[in-house]
Amino acid sequence: MNAVEIRNLSKSFRGMYAVDNLCMTIPVGAIYGFIGENGSGKSTTEKLICGHLVPDGGEIKLFGKNYTDAGVRVRVGALIENAGCFPNSSVWDNLMMQAINLGLENRAEEIDRVLKIVRMEKHSQLKFKKCSLGMKQRIGIAMALLGEPALLILDEPINGLDTEGMRIMREILVNITKNYGCTVLISSHILGELEKIATHYGIIRQGRMVMEMTASELEGRARVFVSLKTKDMQSAFGLLRKKYNNVRTEEGYIRVYDVNDTEEIVEYLLKNNHIVSKIKKNKIGLEEYYIELMSKKEES
Amino acid sequence: MNELNFKSPTFFERLKGMLGVDFYRLFHTPMFYIFLGIAAIIPAMILGTMGMENPQTGATAAPLYTNVWHIIAAEMPLYVVKNIADYAHMNMVFIFGGIMISIFIGHDYKSGYVKQLFTTHAKKQDYILSKTIVGAFSMACMCVTYLLGAVGAGLFTGISIKINVSSLVIAIISKMIMSLGWASLYTFLNIIFRRYFGVSIVSCFFFGTGILIIGAAAIFGNSSVLNIFLYGSSVYACLSSNIITLLVCLVCSVVWTLIYTIAGTRILSKCDVY
Repeated sequence: MNAVEIRNLSKSFRGMYAVDNLCMTIPVGAIYGFIGENGSGKSTTEKLICGHLVPDGGEIKLFGKNYTDAGVRVRVGALIENAGCFPNSSVWDNLMMQAINLGLENRAEEIDRVLKIVRMEKHSQLKFKKCSLGMKQRIGIAMALLGEPALLILDEPINGLDTEGMRIMREILVNITKNYGCTVLISSHILGELEKIATHYGIIRQGRMVMEMTASELEGRARVFVSLKTKDMQSAFGLLRKKYNNVRTEEGYIRVYDVNDTEEIVEYLLKNNHIVSKIKKNKIGLEEYYIELMSKKEES
Repeated sequence: MNELNFKSPTFFERLKGMLGVDFYRLFHTPMFYIFLGIAAIIPAMILGTMGMENPQTGATAAPLYTNVWHIIAAEMPLYVVKNIADYAHMNMVFIFGGIMISIFIGHDYKSGYVKQLFTTHAKKQDYILSKTIVGAFSMACMCVTYLLGAVGAGLFTGISIKINVSSLVIAIISKMIMSLGWASLYTFLNIIFRRYFGVSIVSCFFFGTGILIIGAAAIFGNSSVLNIFLYGSSVYACLSSNIITLLVCLVCSVVWTLIYTIAGTRILSKCDVY
């Protein structure tokens, strides 16, 4: 069974399609990294799943049921754009309201549990408006975690956080995804962070799904390359192009793509009187893969 | 691993959850208590200033009322307003209530909490019904504090307090019943103007004054046909009320609540919620 199954979903605002015939499949238990540039339709898709927006067309199924099913929706936790808390109420009061809303029985215990997960147990009496951005995002996650959601939707939870905030948030997300077993749909611009936790990816562009893949598929598609520097870069570049198919000059280095053997390259250059001053093996990560994919789409 | 069983909550379970949040908010924010205070102070001020002397001439202003209970309602249903005394009675609570409901719903949208509510509540009528019930409760409470303020100040004015108690009680209960209809109207207006907080408040104030019905009455005269409207029935609940008045108010309030709830639910189901 899939946690989320979207077929031909469309949503327009004043004639402009924010989401255009989008298809998406998120298996149960997956941590789905939803990637796309600003305005590509990530937030709109998430709002459609949460029932905040009415689609122009298409179908959304959550755990095999229509997304308007009250039983499914009560098991969806979401942090979309901001935490959605009352600024003059305390963290505790905000969580209590959500616990009441969900009809939870052991409210106080449940609030303590989620506050511990997001490491906010010492700040429960703080007014929401007094919290820092990082704290607000964590409270938003705590709100979404109340009532043991089966599907967690997190829209840019890392955005705007400082390095320490990002580290804490990553640890929290890893903890949630590993220990609480819910399906997670997480969108983010910070692909390096996403790469550390996602098991599946969906790349959206101009409201359309460009590609969906698993983390292992990404691993398979990730290209390796060797970066090197020599004294005479131009001559070495010409020489390497004669032997290897994909050689480029990038960021002050000569890059030989789809080659793993550094020794072979060094030997070849040495034979032709080129001394290698620097050499390292690299692998294209999610970010580079995404940029490459987007530039290919741009060209086409 | 979280279990994947999806038990659909019943209508009452859903409503209970939503009402729980709204009542928790209502009792934990100062706004509700401020409005209760306003509802008590206004009649006290109107009655209290009645017997005041002009410090320069020593003359006392002509009293607005000849009976304390006129601050609650007119002697007869007066849809045509000739002076401020005909207008300034318990129906003012519905204006305060309109402003309060606008602020209450406006905060849902302003804070973004509405996203949490609509994520977990797939059925839009939960939201509308909950706001209507909480709004009606608030206005009914304001009717009580209005009564207390009026009685408190009325005792010091020295004007007559003679009244047919059963009619007075029926009038007050009828006005409290009308709170439900008014709350549904205000919730509906706030749903329509959910993206424009200022317009919501102004529209609630505008309809709450009953100006449309007063205008219609000025043209068509004191007609009981006006009782089909919320303001008409609210005026009908006067100091000569009887059990018919109570029934008219009950029917009017419930019918308009149904109309506004169905219309509001349709709007929220067909349009984006924010």
